[in-house]
Amino acid sequence: MRIGAAKESYVADAALFDTPTQRVWIGLAFAALCAFPFVADEYWLYLACLIAINVASACGLNILTGYTGLVSLGQAAFMGLGAYTVAVMENRLGTPFGINLLAGGLVAMAGGVVVGIPSLRVKGLYLAISTIAASVLAHFLFANFKFTGGTAGLSIQPARFFGIALDTSFRLYWLIVPLAVLMLLGAANLFRTRIGRAFIAIRDRDISAEVLGIPLLRYKLMSFGLSSFYAGVAGGLWAYFFRVVTPESFPLIMSIFFLAAIIVGGMGSILGCILGAVFMTLVPELLKIVVGWLPMSTNATLVLSPVRTMVFGALIIGFLIFEPHGLAEMWRRVRRYFHLWPFRT
Amino acid sequence: MSIQRRSVLSAAALAVSALATSGSALAQGEDIVLGGSIPMTGVFAFAGIGVNAGIQDYVKIANDAGGIKGRKLRYVPEDTGYKVDASVAAFKKITSQNKVHLYYGDSTGFAKTINPELERSGQILMAGASFATEINDPKKYPYQFLVGPDYTEMIGILLKHIAKVKPGAKVAFVYSDSEFGRDPIDESRAGAKKLGLNVAVEIMTPPGSVDVSGEVIKLRRADPDFTIFHGYVLAPIPEFVIQAKKLGMKSQFMGTFWTMDNSMVMKMGEAADGFMGVMPFRYYYDTEGKSPMLEKIRALHPNEYQSAPYMQGFLTAMLMTEAAKRTLDAGKPLDGKNLKAALNSIKNFDTGGIIGTPITIKGNSIPVGRIYKADIKQQKMLPASDWITLE
Repeated sequence: MRIGAAKESYVADAALFDTPTQRVWIGLAFAALCAFPFVADEYWLYLACLIAINVASACGLNILTGYTGLVSLGQAAFMGLGAYTVAVMENRLGTPFGINLLAGGLVAMAGGVVVGIPSLRVKGLYLAISTIAASVLAHFLFANFKFTGGTAGLSIQPARFFGIALDTSFRLYWLIVPLAVLMLLGAANLFRTRIGRAFIAIRDRDISAEVLGIPLLRYKLMSFGLSSFYAGVAGGLWAYFFRVVTPESFPLIMSIFFLAAIIVGGMGSILGCILGAVFMTLVPELLKIVVGWLPMSTNATLVLSPVRTMVFGALIIGFLIFEPHGLAEMWRRVRRYFHLWPFRT
Repeated sequence: MSIQRRSVLSAAALAVSALATSGSALAQGEDIVLGGSIPMTGVFAFAGIGVNAGIQDYVKIANDAGGIKGRKLRYVPEDTGYKVDASVAAFKKITSQNKVHLYYGDSTGFAKTINPELERSGQILMAGASFATEINDPKKYPYQFLVGPDYTEMIGILLKHIAKVKPGAKVAFVYSDSEFGRDPIDESRAGAKKLGLNVAVEIMTPPGSVDVSGEVIKLRRADPDFTIFHGYVLAPIPEFVIQAKKLGMKSQFMGTFWTMDNSMVMKMGEAADGFMGVMPFRYYYDTEGKSPMLEKIRALHPNEYQSAPYMQGFLTAMLMTEAAKRTLDAGKPLDGKNLKAALNSIKNFDTGGIIGTPITIKGNSIPVGRIYKADIKQQKMLPASDWITLE
């Protein structure tokens, strides 16, 4: 049982990982992430990379929606901007992937700032609808510009690291996962700074935030910019991962996927966006595996496929009803239980 | 402590050796695996379910006949929901659990995405639900092929028919603003000109559009003799046809493969009467000529209509089996290069009536099709031309 963590300074109070136990677990998780590619097969490595990309993008959306309270349905469009920037730079300029990813993030950031301008006037559902415009506009640009390859899109050369082509899930894992971890750490740290706290103040009550001296336009646009930067980098990683980008690669439903991920995971929580993205990406695959275990004929796949989709939907609804604060809250409850064990919470 | 460590180490060694044994057993296994990223749920499920049944039936027929040179054909499908990331996940899962030589992919997006992986591994021959013109390029897609004509060739077959029945006719292209819709338009415009046809109007509709009244007026103004729809499965074709007929238009409406399933056309109701289109395969109920494979299908499913995607899946499995058989006959290992070479050695091949004419696969497609016309009274698509082969 742990009754509390004594904090003797403000630095200790603001620490990202405040207990030795937490630090040990983080260390173990880090070791597990390093060991994973050596024990997992191609399928699990593929899923790990996909989850990492989704975590990075969901984390960006969480900055905007979870922490700043600005609902956006433009995340897929910003990912598309990042992906296309990377594709064009990789194919035409042949610049290193680090520069391409950074440029992808910056282009998406610029797009995000433009799309975020209406956020000063409109909020909630109205803002969500205005961000849909980003999806429509991005699709139009991707489908009609020559340098984006039109409707056929672009095929991309693999990223190269000192001459080694990052063309397998194993190799890409070492690019995607560390970058996603770095982005998560960046986001977690952001909310220990004045900027992050300003975002939270805006979410809680924007008028009060302004009274407190937070310039709404600047901070709202900053939040849009940061969120789309994350989306742009995630989109760039997506481009290197799938090696093809087309206008249909980033549909509106993808933005809804990320919104669902942060709602299921827990809005306004870094852990929430990790758990949400893992849940939304992994559960459909896990359900397939469970169905595969059932001793039935090949036809079972056909019969059980719609059932699987329904179970996934029911799980999402179940979580929303029984744990509206998301998986992160469930995790916190489990942690609390073990902190106080053997006493009841 | 040391005993515990030793026991853990020996258990790990046992596990590793067990894994290695099972791996080598798998490598020496007799089965030839046909994997499939199949959309059994989602917007394309109507096709995926048919494709799945078609592949399954052919695999059963092939295995009942002794398999491929004594080796059993094993079909391993996985649902994708018609999402590229899920299709790739299915591919990775199936290929990491089985030694796969043949694969069915569910979309153009997947075909393009998985192509670098196919080239890298060099072990798999793939076909799928895509008829994208881009994939009909053996240099860019060396280990893939299309089971049927590509979209440009489909329209080419329609145009060839039009040029024959009404030389110099006015043609309209109505297509969706999507990769699927735009795919054949540029080349078809040039193709029409070459055949002496006049492209009177090109109308692009937004994806998922329902209200097409403005477009119908535009179409009426151009007054084409033939209107070719592409890039749709069904909607908004019925709306177009109904409104155009109400406005007194006499244009002959036509579609491409994904619209041409019998049940799909009949969903148009009365408007379907006389609707024409290109179909690379024969329909389930087609009894014309000698067609042993169609008879087998009818015997497996008596009085139970099997869709056009079923036929496509069935023929895919048949051609893949033939390629594998020819590769093994030549004493070569089953890899992407040999399988593709074997596939391209297919000349004047009898598909048992699935396609009504012998086929030759020179490159990545089978540029053969026939024009069928809807007869609403019989609720059937009936042949309106002979089999047309593009050179």
